[in-house]
Amino acid sequence: MKRIIILLLLLWNVCFSIYAQQRLRLNGKVTDSTGEPIVGATLSIEGHNEQYSSTVGGTFSFEYDKGDKLLVSSVGYLPFSVVLDGQSTLHVQLQASAEALDEVVVIGYGTQTRGEITSSIASVKSEDFTKGAVKDAGQLIQGKVAGLRISTPSGDPGESSQVNLRGLNSINGSQNPLVIIDGIPGDLNTVAPEDIESIDVLKDGSAAAIYGTRATAGVILVTTRRNTATDNRTTIEYNGYTSLQTLFRKPEMMDASDYRRLIADGVSYDDLGTETNWIDEVTRNPLSHNHNVTLFGGNSRTNFTGAINYRDWEGVFLKSGQERLNVRTNLHHEMFEGKLKTNMQLISRSAKSNNGGSSPYMWRQAIIRNPTDQLYNEHGKWQERDAYFYDNPLGMIHETIDDRIFRETRLSGSLDYRPVEGLSLKMLLSRVQNNNLSGNATTFNHVNTTKNNLNGTASRDTRAATENLMELTANYTKSFDGHKIDMLGGYSWQDDTFEQFYAYNFDFPTDNYTYNKLEAGAAIQRGLGEMTSYKENRKLIGFFARVAYNYKEKYMAMASIRREGSSTFGENNKWGSFPAISLGWDIAKEDFLAAIGEINQLKLRTGFGVTGTIASASYMSQTSYNFERAQGAYINGKWVPGFVPTRNFNPDLRWERKHEYNVGLDFSLFDNRVYGSFDYYTRQVKDLLYQFNVPSPPYLYPNMMLNAGEMSNAGFEALVNVDAFRESNFKWKTGITVATNKNKLINLSNDQFNVTVPFFEAGYTGEPIQIATHRVEVGRAVGDFYVLKTVGVDDDGKWLIENKEGETIPISDSSPDDRQYYGNGIPDVNLGWNNSFHYKNIDFSFNFRGSFGHQVLNMTRLYYENPINKAYNALKTAYDPVYGQTLTNDLVYVSHYIEDADFLKLDNVTLGYTFKPNAIKGVQNLRMYASGFNLMTITGYKGLDPEAASYQGDFTFAPGIEHRDRYPTTRMFTVGLNVTF
Amino acid sequence: MKRIYKSIYSTILVGVGLCGFLSVNSCTNLDEEVFSEVLSKDFKPGERDLPSIVAPVYASFRSLMFGWQGYFDLQEESADHIITPVRPNGWDDAGTYRRMHQHNWTTIQWQPYNTWQQAYSSITKANMIIMQIEEDTLPLPADVASAAIAELRAARALAYYLLLDNHGNVPIVTDYRDVELPEQKTREEVYRFVVNELTEVVPFLSEEVASMYGRMNVWAAKALLAKIYLNAQVYIGEQQWEKVIAETEDIIQSGAFRLDIAYKDVFSSTNESSPEIIFAVPYDEVYGHGNQLHMKTLSPLSRLVYNMAAGPWGGNCAVPQFIDTYDQDDQRLFDSWLQGAQYNATTGDVAITYVKEVPGIGGDGTVAADNAGYRLGKYAIKNGATNNLDNDYPMFRYADILMMKAEALLRTGRENEAALLVSEVRERAFKPVPDKALVTGAELLKGSMYNYGWQEKDGTVNGNNGGADIEFGRFLDELGWEFAGEARRRQDIIRFGVFQTKSWFNHRPHARAQSRTLFPIPNDEINKNPKLDQNPGYE
Repeated sequence: MKRIIILLLLLWNVCFSIYAQQRLRLNGKVTDSTGEPIVGATLSIEGHNEQYSSTVGGTFSFEYDKGDKLLVSSVGYLPFSVVLDGQSTLHVQLQASAEALDEVVVIGYGTQTRGEITSSIASVKSEDFTKGAVKDAGQLIQGKVAGLRISTPSGDPGESSQVNLRGLNSINGSQNPLVIIDGIPGDLNTVAPEDIESIDVLKDGSAAAIYGTRATAGVILVTTRRNTATDNRTTIEYNGYTSLQTLFRKPEMMDASDYRRLIADGVSYDDLGTETNWIDEVTRNPLSHNHNVTLFGGNSRTNFTGAINYRDWEGVFLKSGQERLNVRTNLHHEMFEGKLKTNMQLISRSAKSNNGGSSPYMWRQAIIRNPTDQLYNEHGKWQERDAYFYDNPLGMIHETIDDRIFRETRLSGSLDYRPVEGLSLKMLLSRVQNNNLSGNATTFNHVNTTKNNLNGTASRDTRAATENLMELTANYTKSFDGHKIDMLGGYSWQDDTFEQFYAYNFDFPTDNYTYNKLEAGAAIQRGLGEMTSYKENRKLIGFFARVAYNYKEKYMAMASIRREGSSTFGENNKWGSFPAISLGWDIAKEDFLAAIGEINQLKLRTGFGVTGTIASASYMSQTSYNFERAQGAYINGKWVPGFVPTRNFNPDLRWERKHEYNVGLDFSLFDNRVYGSFDYYTRQVKDLLYQFNVPSPPYLYPNMMLNAGEMSNAGFEALVNVDAFRESNFKWKTGITVATNKNKLINLSNDQFNVTVPFFEAGYTGEPIQIATHRVEVGRAVGDFYVLKTVGVDDDGKWLIENKEGETIPISDSSPDDRQYYGNGIPDVNLGWNNSFHYKNIDFSFNFRGSFGHQVLNMTRLYYENPINKAYNALKTAYDPVYGQTLTNDLVYVSHYIEDADFLKLDNVTLGYTFKPNAIKGVQNLRMYASGFNLMTITGYKGLDPEAASYQGDFTFAPGIEHRDRYPTTRMFTVGLNVTF
Repeated sequence: MKRIYKSIYSTILVGVGLCGFLSVNSCTNLDEEVFSEVLSKDFKPGERDLPSIVAPVYASFRSLMFGWQGYFDLQEESADHIITPVRPNGWDDAGTYRRMHQHNWTTIQWQPYNTWQQAYSSITKANMIIMQIEEDTLPLPADVASAAIAELRAARALAYYLLLDNHGNVPIVTDYRDVELPEQKTREEVYRFVVNELTEVVPFLSEEVASMYGRMNVWAAKALLAKIYLNAQVYIGEQQWEKVIAETEDIIQSGAFRLDIAYKDVFSSTNESSPEIIFAVPYDEVYGHGNQLHMKTLSPLSRLVYNMAAGPWGGNCAVPQFIDTYDQDDQRLFDSWLQGAQYNATTGDVAITYVKEVPGIGGDGTVAADNAGYRLGKYAIKNGATNNLDNDYPMFRYADILMMKAEALLRTGRENEAALLVSEVRERAFKPVPDKALVTGAELLKGSMYNYGWQEKDGTVNGNNGGADIEFGRFLDELGWEFAGEARRRQDIIRFGVFQTKSWFNHRPHARAQSRTLFPIPNDEINKNPKLDQNPGYE
């Protein structure tokens, strides 16, 4: 941290360099981003009335005073300004404005203009990003891309947002979109949000197919900020903010007075004599801060971008948080008259957390702990009690050491050789190396020792990954007589290695070592420690080609194919082909509409594409064995490990394939004032990779990875933006995104093995209820709850349920066969509404986000809104009558706890003020803002946060569970500063 | 244009060269590099590896018998000795224990499915190894091969016996190469198969005792045969009492086993040295995980009594009506059940006092207090126990051989001979009062002392139909006292007709009681194999 402050001070000094008053002449030219001259651009010095225009060739010439601010504007381009510090020549490169149809869109291995696009691609530029304290790249575009559902179910600063595109499209494969950072695979945290210029999302199959096997869940292309060089320009930007977090909502648990009132009424709670609000004890309202410095330097031939992002986010749980440092440098150089472009980029990032024992399980302990109990016992130690799964949460937090460090280095270089006009030959090489190192220990005052006599525990875990990538591409573009043709061919080679080591020991003579001297423990010698190591490698090789053609941006077509092979598949099925084709027709350019000036664009698009999903693990098709201790036995008087096949062998394992059709309409009306797009898609995933239940015998193991089954998704997406006001003093831009999705599992069967699975169960309540929460059945949508349906409570306080014949029966007479479908955890409709206002120097924005047509299992109520369990605390509502009765039923998973979870959330409100340029000398731009996140939720849902249900990992097929063990979501208030020197 | 082609061409050349350089292999090589698995082409097993190759066949029995919701629960919770009531922490697990107790299990009940899966896992592994030996992919000398195949077939027969006893009508698969969906067999066919297999392999099985501990030797095979003949009436409606006597007599005459001096020692954490054990499923705190009986039975407070390195879950306990049948001088009452005050190992204070009374199984809002019910203490819990005990499960032991023979004698009118054997078994339980060890043939002909009937919350037993009418009920009581907590009570009370007809604790005879003597074919298995039909009474 100290180092960063010194660096900041240094930068500050550089910027306050002395200048003298002197009249200078400036000669230069204005071009677009491709170098084409712009004629008629308006140039002026701020505060002066004189205006100049760029002439033929884009050139201009005038006199100025050092320190003057030059303003450049032209129709269809973003305004540009620069402080003149004594130069005599200047090359101004204007970026096409967002509203314009020739906005550049990144499409994977290349770019197209908005007007040329024929598939479903969403592009969000930095000016439209979510403002304020943004967690990661996902949150930047939350609610701004129709069909991309982004949620933040956890308040843990170290957790990323969850992203899902167009529904659930694989069972075994990843649900996460492929994230490409400047051409290289990464994740939403690879670069700091402040360091991102634009995010493009390839939504449909025809767009994504060029990425072949990793693209079923969509592709997110992140472009980092680059120096868009003008001559000798050096700019430094600082962005910083501080934020305060509070719990979004607290569960209303009974307090000590509730306990005592109930005890007086004869309820058998224990009064332990004190008062403790356990939730308050384990949480706080933490301050976090974030600093980002970006430096642009160099000239049009050699330029440099450097970005440093430091962030220290604390969590609402005591001790939790994450400290992070991301550094990125990019060096760009051109030679041989621009024929050879070289680029080198280095991204180094590290994240560190020291969370102690703050965990979702700790949260459970804070919730269930007796409010009349004390923190410490009479010896000043943590007050512990002997009960089932019942530990002092503060003891857990403070007596656990849990340190994690993540480090990553990404080095990439590219050569782009342009021997003749229109031809580009490019080679990209990159290596990504990262490692996780964590250490965990518990002290002698932790329950591991005070209750379980382990005498201190300690473990270390280290993981390392190396990803090598090489891509060779050739691109040729030719325009003639209104025809434009763009051809791409390429080869991609990727090699990933993953290694892991873990050791665990206990029974230490002292707890002073924490995890730093594992050999001091005795459990390993006694055979009770643990140790594991692992290594895997996988390769992915692809050949790809693409042709794009358009005639005057009226008729457009694009076709691509990727032939890709993965080492993870069976010998005979390593390679797959992934073709795509798409067509576009801009009706507005037809003569019969050209006369209607109100219609700027009316483009019909249609596309078809095939993408694949890779097996989630390597070696699934190998015929291999392992020595396993769990398969061992006592043979000839000693214990030997068992030698067993690793899995049921399936050398025929092959690609999961998704076929997607997309039709869309892009429109722009009323002088580009109203614009957006509509899309309808259907996707069919075939050969789903699934751990199929197979009969054993004949098979050795009762499940087996097979290509089995088919799933479909269909949906409608709309994006409508309106520039309601775009006067220079008052601007209001409003945009709405709407997306629907309908999922259906069509079948789960495999011909080769002649087996069919009608359904599988998913999700788990956990003890002491222990039953699956969801059922995934052929012919139905993923996400259906499967539960005993409650219809009342009898006079004894027992549930009445509806049995499978539809009769009302006491729950004690029911069996698991009486469970039925009840609601679904995946929203039918997702909505985003974004607004930004500019009034003179004030900017104001707010976003609403909502999800509708889904249910959430409120696990907090399931476990704690029932007075049966006197060993644990309960919600204040536990004694409220249900169907007019007080419950006396055992804890049981019933439909009563599944609630409609429609919500509309005021997600982000930001108010900013931009000072006049040079209000402080040397400062080109200064903006201050205040912002709030997750401010208000309109919902009938009774839990903490309807959006806090996870859709990933264990919850992929059990979506819509607000888990009892969790890191609760927070509300965040931020004040920040943007400065450009 | 030519220039363009040339450039593309040269780029491809450079690229191909580079990729060859980088990946060592060629541009399109997708062979997997394997690090943490043994590829079959790289490993040629031999005789030396035989222990590790055979081990997995036995490993399945470990998690099966005493693991989570394993065979122990299947046999005990469906019977009249052991219950898992709802405890104060709300431990109900969606009523699964109540359904076991009340015989309301469904076709998706986990406990019987667990037994099915683990038994077939053992069977399929045995089939695979037999194939490897037969095909010589596991090359062995001829004598080693025939002994190994005999042992594997005997172990496989043991697994089929579990299916015969619990699910009855199950498929029989013996050839690993056969990948057709297997056909269902009748319970009688399964019975014939198991008996034939065992009879065939007996001549080839080892007679060794010490080195074959935990494995199928000739004595284990004979004990298993005796067990199957004992229940032949239940399985196929035939009485095989003389065969029971013949098989048990072989074991008795061999002199290889004897009753242990102390009853406790048969179940201790070092019981592998007990001379009484014929076949055991060995467990080990370090190498052979799976014995978690103490975790399920003990209250969390009991960890103080044993300085445990784990927090027990506090669940199952004895049915009070069963405890009432014990003679207070019967040492087995105290060797089998933890009762009364339990003392903190460090301070000497009372940590918890287990009382006999249990108000009910739960489900009606009744919650059994943390200390309600005597706990299973038969498998002695050592000081400092982790969540895995060392105690082996003695599946067949010498006392059982004597009692099987006694039952066969009793049922064939030789009650006085039977009484001699029963008295022999009782002797060590009544050391201070030896007279009480003696039983007469006339006593064995009496009914049961078990006060069968529905237990109210206050402990009174209503709908009292007692045990006096049970034929050889007294002998059933003897089995109960000797073998409590040995994962077999269900089989015994089915054979004596109690399972189908009596009430105990919060159990009443099921409306389709006879069908409940078999568990259903697991629903998932029927889904996977359409050739399987559900057992009668579960359609």
